[in-house]
Amino acid sequence: MRGKIAGLVLVIASALVLTGCAQPQPTDNNTPEGAQDITFWVIGGDTPQELRDYLVEQYKSVNGGTLTIEEQTWGDIITKLTAMLPDANNTPDVTEIGNTQSPTFTNVGAFADISDMYAKLGGSNLLQSFVEVGKVDGKNYTLPYYFGSRYMFYRKDVWEAAGVKAPPATLDEFNAAVVKITDQNPKTINDFSGFFIGGQDWRNGISWIFANGGDLAKQEDGQWVSTLSDPNTIKGLAQLQEIQAKASMAPTTARDQSPWLYINDTDSAKDDAGTVTDTSLAAATIMAPGWAHWSIGDLTKNDEGKDVREWNDDTFGVFALPGNDGKPAPVFAGGSNIGISAKSTKQEGSRQLLEIIFSSEYQTMLGKNGLGPANSTNMSALGDDIFAKALIESASNSKLTPAAPGWAAVEASNKLEEFFQKVADGADLDSLTKEYDAIITPMLNQK
Amino acid sequence: MMTETTTNRPDTPQDSGLVDMVTQDILYPLEVQAPKRRRRNPRAPYILLLPAVIMLLIAIGYPLVWQIYTSMMRYGLAQQFGAPPEFVGLSNYLSIFTNPSTWGVVARSLIFCAVNAILTMIIGTAVAVLMNVVNKGVKLTLQISLLLAWAMPVVAAVTVWIWLFDWRRGVINHTLTAMGFNFTSFNWLGTSLGLYFVATLIVVWMSVPFVAFSIYAGLTQVSPEIMEAASLDGASASRKFTTIIVPMIRPVLMIVGLLQIIWDLRVFTQIRMLQDAQMPLNSDLLGTYIYRLGVGSGDFAMASALSIFVLLITIVISIAYVMRLVKEDS
Amino acid sequence: MITIRQHFKPLRLVLSLVAIVIALIWVFPVYWMLSSSLLPNVVLSSTTPRFFPWGGSFANYASVLSGGTFLRALTISLQVTLIAVFFAILFAFLAALAISRFKFRGRKSFVLAILFIQMLPAEGLFIAQYKMMSTTGLLNSVLGVSILYIAAVVPFTIWMLRGFVAGVPADLEESAQVDGCSSAGAFFRITLPLLAPGLVASGVYAFLQAWNEFTIALVILPAEQMRTLPLWLRTFIQASQAREIDWGQVMASSTLVAIPVIIFFLLVQGRLTSGLVAGAVKG
Repeated sequence: MRGKIAGLVLVIASALVLTGCAQPQPTDNNTPEGAQDITFWVIGGDTPQELRDYLVEQYKSVNGGTLTIEEQTWGDIITKLTAMLPDANNTPDVTEIGNTQSPTFTNVGAFADISDMYAKLGGSNLLQSFVEVGKVDGKNYTLPYYFGSRYMFYRKDVWEAAGVKAPPATLDEFNAAVVKITDQNPKTINDFSGFFIGGQDWRNGISWIFANGGDLAKQEDGQWVSTLSDPNTIKGLAQLQEIQAKASMAPTTARDQSPWLYINDTDSAKDDAGTVTDTSLAAATIMAPGWAHWSIGDLTKNDEGKDVREWNDDTFGVFALPGNDGKPAPVFAGGSNIGISAKSTKQEGSRQLLEIIFSSEYQTMLGKNGLGPANSTNMSALGDDIFAKALIESASNSKLTPAAPGWAAVEASNKLEEFFQKVADGADLDSLTKEYDAIITPMLNQK
Repeated sequence: MMTETTTNRPDTPQDSGLVDMVTQDILYPLEVQAPKRRRRNPRAPYILLLPAVIMLLIAIGYPLVWQIYTSMMRYGLAQQFGAPPEFVGLSNYLSIFTNPSTWGVVARSLIFCAVNAILTMIIGTAVAVLMNVVNKGVKLTLQISLLLAWAMPVVAAVTVWIWLFDWRRGVINHTLTAMGFNFTSFNWLGTSLGLYFVATLIVVWMSVPFVAFSIYAGLTQVSPEIMEAASLDGASASRKFTTIIVPMIRPVLMIVGLLQIIWDLRVFTQIRMLQDAQMPLNSDLLGTYIYRLGVGSGDFAMASALSIFVLLITIVISIAYVMRLVKEDS
Repeated sequence: MITIRQHFKPLRLVLSLVAIVIALIWVFPVYWMLSSSLLPNVVLSSTTPRFFPWGGSFANYASVLSGGTFLRALTISLQVTLIAVFFAILFAFLAALAISRFKFRGRKSFVLAILFIQMLPAEGLFIAQYKMMSTTGLLNSVLGVSILYIAAVVPFTIWMLRGFVAGVPADLEESAQVDGCSSAGAFFRITLPLLAPGLVASGVYAFLQAWNEFTIALVILPAEQMRTLPLWLRTFIQASQAREIDWGQVMASSTLVAIPVIIFFLLVQGRLTSGLVAGAVKG
């Protein structure tokens, strides 16, 4: 009996040792002197393959080492950054980070100080609102990677049928127009929205706050204070509340996911009985990031026979949301920052990668792919079609969320979604804004 | 000679194959006779336990100690990046107790757990009884469909259910509307109640196969002779069920029930994935609440304290149950 | 068994119908997944659902599989799951042997501990688990994640197996030894076959747990080339959500993740019906 047990233990032990060998092989050491193999995290599929290949190639020729690009997802990025950035053995050397997530991580020292490179990488030509969210005590930790901004996509035919002039010249005109289109409902479609905006969609909704001179938070004596109950903020929220009540049939829990579904015309699909299905058109106007235009248009087949959307200038149009001061309304600038992990043991290689990324060549490549380049001198790379124009125009006055250390915590807590949903549900703004100021202010300063 | 001594259970019918095998264990543990004292090496049991204990110590022991330690610190993102944690005693626990939203989450979780566990047990038992009374073909159909549902990976299953309940293009809304109820554009996930309703459907759908098969296996052990005798005595079907069947399968019901309580109280994936689709107000349950505090807000101390708190709640509501299980066992 | 069948024919008919309805309800989501996976997204984005995949194709599967990432994730998942299942069952079996065949100090505490361990919410543990794996260099290794999975399924597996172990009388093994078997021979020829249903039962449980898990995997296997299938599926869904969610492809990938489990169930089913137990005992 004893022998049997000892034998079993031995089997287990040896099996453990054997599986222990089944780890990934370390990469070979045949790299030139000084070369560093580094890892770069991109988030989501926004960076096209062509650009990734370019970076790998350039890095090889500059440094001699291998650049590994790993794609992370937006949903899990905070989990991964939290676990891995503090870990010298496993940290990515360079990582993309959402612009609104940047303050939280820069404030706890997750990124290396790259102030000395700032001028060389573009200096004041870099998108300043993004530079700000990467700064702590005057030092640069993260810099802009790319930006996108939100503008309006609309149905020319529906606006015209409703007898409304497009594009509107001021925000007030826009607000009135979308209500009128909803009332007219020229195509008599059930639950038709003049402007489709989800109740929880705060990233688009804050444009109305910004356009009325309000803001989400401000810094007073080094402390961040939530400013939802500021009179200008309330003015913007009141306009948004009216739009939600009178122009948008979107669920009050909807966020900014795929609004373009609602602006496209009928699908050619037939149902089981062979009859063409109901129209999918449900909105005259949506607000979306620029790349949404790939999903908007008439349904056709591409060369491979796959169904795709083809933009049709006769039916669809774009414009930047106007402000009331003659300038475009300040909209939320989406996009990412980029930084070097403070714990990375390969600072030299990482800095070389940043130089490649901020080179004119790479910035131009970003622009050609419809991503707003970090360096304004390369803006022309975006081209001059209607989408580029709308992007540049809307971005010219765009704004970011507060650079408060606790901003990522505010976003993660879903308090903004809650707040905007309650606005959309018609809550009393005075008491609601005070209630949420009290909730959000302590979160803003949390490190 | 060997045949008699092998096992103390009746031979199982082979026609139900897998399902019996998978689940008989649930019944078995409770028929166990007291361990017999033998002349053996007194260290033997400890050596046998060693591998399992080592695994548990490594993978759960260390994190548990870390969690208890962290729950008494101030430990946020800054500490994660190297700032020294500060000892704060029980103040994290205190803020859990004084925070009304915690109690909201606790209350919702308890209700969710109770509803789901009870529904799963009732439907699971009903399905098991059905399997026992219908003919072979119908039984096989039922078993195959339950098996398919059981085999669905959680991530895949929740994704399918979200698609079924899509407010615009989901087949549920379409079907209900076609049946004469106006569910056009009805947003199921728009309120926390709606979200819990869908989550309940998913949880029950996913748990019933396990429960049904376990109980079915238990039912196959109820000897036909006893049932026959009861019928001769003129017992009604419902009386037979409550006086003969239930007591005989009670051990199965107990352990399966305990598992449902444990699993449904800490339900996480289903709620999180539904929230990824849409996030109505006040829809957090304990699992997602801990996750939001820890990962989302970077407050690992509070998340740890809350985890310990959840562990204590679970122990409190199940202690009587567990003690009974253990008592019957020895 | 239950004597309703002998006496109430109409009742049985009704019950059969109920059973069929339940079967349909339970299988519908599975059917819907399969059906949708065969349809192009354009059809699926219509507001009128299509109940049968007429005119469907395997195009969604082709585009899902074209990246080659599925096979990689499948390999990782299989490795992790098989290691976890094998060792969980082995360790649980040994522990079950201890608690069902021996009386020893701490036995009751051990049984209590394995019941309580399962009540700890996993969502708060990941930082500690990450630190542990990182300092031991086991991050991104099949071994690291397997250890955590083994520990996650071992408690319940012990609980399952101990009944089976207790059901095999030690006398039987001893008498076999008297009959001239070696002690190892007695174990393999007598005890193991008797335990087969128990081992398979706990194997199914361990398999499903390890195969489905994704929170631990997310943190312990961060590298792209180490993704398990649930992570792969989740990444795929999230990437799809960021643009326009392509339900056809998402359903096709869900189907791909479900297929190995169904195959596993079928395999186990076949093995069991061969009548291992009956043969060994009665033969």
